[in-house]
Amino acid sequence: MKLGNVLAAVFRRDWTMMKRYMVNSVSSLMSIYMVFMLIFMGLQSVSRYASTSGLDGSLEGTIVGFFVWTFTIYAFSNLSWNLTNEAQTGTLEQLYLAPCGFKWVGACTIVSDFVFSFVPIMLLLVAMMATTGKWLRVDLISLVPLLLITLLGGHGVGFALGGLALVFKRIQALFQIVQFVFIGLLVIPIHVPVAKYLPLAMGNYLIRRTMVDGVRLWRLPPADVLIAVAVGAAYLAVGIAIFSWCERVAKNRGLLGHY
Amino acid sequence: MSTSASALEVESLTKVFKDRGGIAVRAVDGVCFKVKQGEVLGLLGPNGAGKTTSIKCILGLMRPDSGRIALFGQDAQAAYPRILAKASAVLEGSRNLYWRMSVWENVTFFAALHGAASPEDRQYFGRLLKLFALEDKRDTEVRKLSQGMKQKASVVCALARRTPLVFLDEPTLGLDVETSLELRSVLKQLAREEGRTFVVSSHDMHVIQDVCGRVVIMSSGRVVVDDQVSHLMSLFRTKAYRIGLRGPSPDGLHARLAQEFAGATVTEAEAGAEIKVNLSEDNDIYRLMDVLRSMDSVIDQISREEVDLEKVYLEIVREERARS
Repeated sequence: MKLGNVLAAVFRRDWTMMKRYMVNSVSSLMSIYMVFMLIFMGLQSVSRYASTSGLDGSLEGTIVGFFVWTFTIYAFSNLSWNLTNEAQTGTLEQLYLAPCGFKWVGACTIVSDFVFSFVPIMLLLVAMMATTGKWLRVDLISLVPLLLITLLGGHGVGFALGGLALVFKRIQALFQIVQFVFIGLLVIPIHVPVAKYLPLAMGNYLIRRTMVDGVRLWRLPPADVLIAVAVGAAYLAVGIAIFSWCERVAKNRGLLGHY
Repeated sequence: MSTSASALEVESLTKVFKDRGGIAVRAVDGVCFKVKQGEVLGLLGPNGAGKTTSIKCILGLMRPDSGRIALFGQDAQAAYPRILAKASAVLEGSRNLYWRMSVWENVTFFAALHGAASPEDRQYFGRLLKLFALEDKRDTEVRKLSQGMKQKASVVCALARRTPLVFLDEPTLGLDVETSLELRSVLKQLAREEGRTFVVSSHDMHVIQDVCGRVVIMSSGRVVVDDQVSHLMSLFRTKAYRIGLRGPSPDGLHARLAQEFAGATVTEAEAGAEIKVNLSEDNDIYRLMDVLRSMDSVIDQISREEVDLEKVYLEIVREERARS
């Protein structure tokens, strides 16, 4: 069984789906951009009302936070939402028949999702920077690895929720709540105790250092990078463990193909 | 446990579910059967008999409570998921496809999951589409196809994985007569030409009778019959009799027959009464003649009733229900 065949097949499937659901893809990006616009206008009016000049710093942080949040939402929702959707449409059991195992099909889907969401979200970033007039440093060599590290935790949450969806089926309300929890995790200052051990927080901080302060990856404190990797990997491992447990329950109860 | 000629061996397979009240329901109860390589086996049974649950346990989509499963001599649970390189399945017909993708996109995607992606494989996919008369619909999105075409595309996706063992769970469900006939004809051709092993689960007796060499009949989670279709038919053909009487049936005949021959029916017609009866032992026919003679019935004609698998199946399931 060649994993390359599976990866290529998943890429082709996702590319095809993206083209077929182009209107949906564009409209979801547009709606995220509109939410950003509302936040931006809100921040502007607060700044004018309070006659402060402190908006500059928070605006740049908001752009980075929103950028990371969008990536995280894409990563987490693609994983958990697709799983629910595949169970609903009946293709999930067919994916489970892959000789490489479903987890590898899932891993290929994560890679493909990252690649296909990268360009649209980068375009969203450009749109946000153009709207606010704040041009951040987009150093891809530093940014891409940091994004991948940060998204580990997001994927962990995605796996956990995907697993819960296999067993409990209708948990869309929980998906929506998690989106707001992510916002909270992205706005927590890193110096707050325990914050650096929560998913996304440290990664978001390091991305902000790169994009706002222009610090390159290898100039970042190694301890901070290590914490971000360890925290991301830990949340991913916990997410995969929850998924495996839920998968076992679903197989015991015969729920895999049900919706 | 295994022999080299076996494609599938199922031994004491048991799956118990608990309902909402916590009461255990034995969906599959000690099921045993074997399928030889190149054989086409029919899995027949009423709703809730345990056919789909058995198939899903074999494929690792459900976890059995006990029992052993071997695919081509390999322990399926120990070799999961690698063992799936040898098996593919149509489980929920048209629901097994991405409706927003074309037939070809679906076929190449699912085949690639099994590593079938070479130019030679693609040629084979083209051949399958031609066989199933889907060549013209190759680039059509599945959602735009009729139910029959979706079902056929689903079967093509399973076959395109090029596995030596293929499970088809209700492959003709929801199909019209013509499409069902077409599908059966192609399946027979493929079984003959490619020597693959098929396990076909269906409610449609015609599919099983037409396509399968052997049939396993399940009822209430247990195997009640495991026999060659032809043998089963001949067995029942010799048992089922139709006796025409000259004139109406005499008083008390219904009750007497019901008492002595379980399942015997008497229908009154203008030309005379007709008795349908299954005789389980050789001397039963003499006993029946004695009963009719004692009741002054004049026999007009005796014939063996034509049986099809549907009658055989109903008889077996009824007997099994009466027994349990």
